[in-house]
Amino acid sequence: MIKESYSVTEENQLLKAALDGDKKAFGEIVTRYQKMVARTVKGMLGDSVFAEDIGQEVFIKLYYSLSEFRGEAKLSTYIQKIAVNLTLNEIKRRKRFFSMFSQKGNNEMYEFEVADHDTEERKEASEIVNKALMAMDPKFRIIVTMRMLQGYSTKETAEILDLPLGTVLSRLSRAQEQLRNILEKL
Amino acid sequence: MKPSEIKKLIISSLSADADPKEASMRLEEEGISYDFSKGFGDKILDKLFSAGLTINREVEFVRSMNFAFYRIALTGVAAIVVLLISIFLMQGSLSFNSFLGLSDSYDESIVCLLTGN
Repeated sequence: MIKESYSVTEENQLLKAALDGDKKAFGEIVTRYQKMVARTVKGMLGDSVFAEDIGQEVFIKLYYSLSEFRGEAKLSTYIQKIAVNLTLNEIKRRKRFFSMFSQKGNNEMYEFEVADHDTEERKEASEIVNKALMAMDPKFRIIVTMRMLQGYSTKETAEILDLPLGTVLSRLSRAQEQLRNILEKL
Repeated sequence: MKPSEIKKLIISSLSADADPKEASMRLEEEGISYDFSKGFGDKILDKLFSAGLTINREVEFVRSMNFAFYRIALTGVAAIVVLLISIFLMQGSLSFNSFLGLSDSYDESIVCLLTGN
């Protein structure tokens, strides 16, 4: 299963308990959505310790903004929005840092590790995806992450990124073009 | 899956007519999956709930300060009321001169007092 979906009643009960300070309930929310957040954060930043830090920040921010969550959107969408915002902020911060203090190229701003237990074939596949993603422009990379790694439809992507549907569609097609060029060189 | 097939899958997953769920599931099956390290959830809970203790302590301190301020302010108001009553009883009015203790003094006597003549 790629997308996390749980019954609204069950989720509301968890949210209510977490709001009342129930550590276990919030722990359950973290367990349910950590993979989803990992796909966004690691897909955007690479598989590094920085990504773990941002992932933790996502859930800490979620905890402190639980009272603001009115249930108009799905909890997963709400968490995804926090993850996207924090990740894009981190990319901007890194870009500023690297432009000031380093001559490193775009690719070197990110690092990624491949799990040791994977087979050679899986390692290679993982490396291709990570290298291709990191070589992309962040505004296209986020679209690819939402679509390819999270499995969101264009409409869902537009909702999470707060972008018009037309913009997502045009970026998707340009992202595909950019990705094709990158993959040809890999 | 061969690298060339992976590349094809990636490209095709971005087509407008492709099923994104299916593509992402296939990629996950091929080992392109992401997760945080072990103990990720525990680290968050530790951070949140140990920080919660600090916040609780801060809230307690602010509450105690408010209570102390309330008591000090109440004592001050009571002292002012007692002072006003005593002034009224001693001077017979609450005029500005009564406050300064000058209600039954004449201007000349004040000038004498200040200049010594």
